[in-house]
Amino acid sequence: MRASTYNRLFIAVIGSAMLAACSSTPTEDDTSATDQQQVEREADTRPVTPAQPTRPDYSHIPLTAEGYHNHPSHYDGTTDSRIVYFAFDRSEVPAAAFDTLRAHANHLKGNSNARVRLEGHTDERGTREYNVALAERRSKAVEQFLRVQGVSASQITTVSYGEEKPKARGSDEMAYAQNRRVELNYTAGRP
Amino acid sequence: MKRLVMMCLILGCTSVVHANLVIEITQGRDDALPIAIVPFASSGGQPEADIAAIIAANLHRSGQFRPLPAEDMLSRPSRGADIIWRDFRVMQSEYVVVGRINRQEDGRYRVEYELHDVARGAQMVAASYTGDASQLRDMAHSISDKVFEQLTGIPGVFGTKILYVTMNEGRDHPFELQYADADGHRAQTILRSRQPIMSPSWSPDGSQVAYVSFEGDGLPKIYVHHLATSERRVVAREQGINGAPSWSPDGTRLALTLSRDGAPEIYTLDLETRRLVRRTNSRAIDTEPRWLPDGESLVFTSSRGGGPQIYRMDLRDNSVRRLTFEGTYNARPDVTPDGRYLVFVHRRDGRFQIGVQDMQRGTFNVLTASNMDESPSVAPNGTMIIYGTQEGGAGVLEAVSIDGRVRVALPSKEGEVREPAWSPFL
Repeated sequence: MRASTYNRLFIAVIGSAMLAACSSTPTEDDTSATDQQQVEREADTRPVTPAQPTRPDYSHIPLTAEGYHNHPSHYDGTTDSRIVYFAFDRSEVPAAAFDTLRAHANHLKGNSNARVRLEGHTDERGTREYNVALAERRSKAVEQFLRVQGVSASQITTVSYGEEKPKARGSDEMAYAQNRRVELNYTAGRP
Repeated sequence: MKRLVMMCLILGCTSVVHANLVIEITQGRDDALPIAIVPFASSGGQPEADIAAIIAANLHRSGQFRPLPAEDMLSRPSRGADIIWRDFRVMQSEYVVVGRINRQEDGRYRVEYELHDVARGAQMVAASYTGDASQLRDMAHSISDKVFEQLTGIPGVFGTKILYVTMNEGRDHPFELQYADADGHRAQTILRSRQPIMSPSWSPDGSQVAYVSFEGDGLPKIYVHHLATSERRVVAREQGINGAPSWSPDGTRLALTLSRDGAPEIYTLDLETRRLVRRTNSRAIDTEPRWLPDGESLVFTSSRGGGPQIYRMDLRDNSVRRLTFEGTYNARPDVTPDGRYLVFVHRRDGRFQIGVQDMQRGTFNVLTASNMDESPSVAPNGTMIIYGTQEGGAGVLEAVSIDGRVRVALPSKEGEVREPAWSPFL
């Protein structure tokens, strides 16, 4: 049941990423004429920075507290995304984060001096030290994912903060969803 | 008197911060005992503290007494010989406390008090103290303790302390470890940090505290901190979790949680020899150990049966048996000083509340009624439990009697307050 939910979401993620890739050029063209004119005018005087690809639009996938951890908008598939979110009471890495974590794995493998610290967090429900233990499971799940991709153990440290360092304040499901997370913090060789 | 001297030593060495906890009684007992605490007569100058008012507030907060308003008193005697018994019988006051404060030539205060039984018209207790102005509050707490013990048969805890963590978002050092009198007054900061501070635990003699601090490198370390000298040392800095320290009743060992071998496991650490002994061995979570008063067993939280439940371990052979069966979430145990009651966090319908289990009879009760109650800590006389809860989205402290009949709130004027730990008798 859970696995099939993940699969469906995963397909949705890949599908929307592909759609976004196909549509990026035309979108860029009609965004604003003034930008283009400016580029043309300045083209002979200085080099033009290549146009940034637009971020895919995931607005058709509702951002709910329940689906927060698997929402594609959190994971851009590059090392720019540095937070992995988790479902309530779970410590499995969500499928939507796989590509992003592979990008981090590739960065770490290609830069042996790079060091990443995986910082695990829970929401505020439950006792504090038990939450430290739960959050450690989350950071270890991310560590395991990176290790399976071939990252050296010496490049990874884990730390668990439990509920002590929430990202979002408040006692509602949306705040909880934002707080159940592992943050990837580079201590050396930041991408 | 030894107690006052020791407290004075503690007070002298740490900075005094603004008292930021005020006690409010939210649920009292119908059968609370009426008592008159007559304002103390003063001579030689106005004292810095209103001793009778502090005693009345203490007794009121226990939920077991109903101090009568001073303005209703028909006479205000300061010694037994002057008491007009009829004046107190009319008010239906069963007991009366009278006393006097004399400021001596050397600037110190001499405080005398007497406790009288109104029905019999007889003195029950009388005593005196001498100390400086900063000790008036200690004297008031000590008198409260004596009166409480005389009338209930249970030692009072008004002279004890509470340790707790505060968090003020936006400050350069948001996390503080503080301690205060049991009535919330005279709060003092022990440690300020940019990183979280967790799980404070008192040494059994009240001279030291152990806690988890993530200071410096952001990794958890367990510290032992001497209150009088502010000297401290790291006693655990292993890879992974260093958490949940709990002092053994004889003061020689800590029980704690380490995950250096993989899953979080309970260890005991001999503070002198530094010898670590691993006590649990399961792939599940084992954490939040607390010693039983016998010093030969622990209670702790474990997920070995699925969700978190509380287990008891005999340290002589590390054998374990499960204690809690009510519901799917029972965690963070504490134990009354007589070893009879287990108090812990119990989840019911998605709400976290303080539960109590009678380990002799096996009965179970929920003592609190909000959504986010946590970190219960039992008073050294076993009558009250202090715990953290939320009020308007911020962490505050509350206390409840072990029978659930009395509840008091300690609202904070600023920031969050959490993880209270009630001191032993000092």
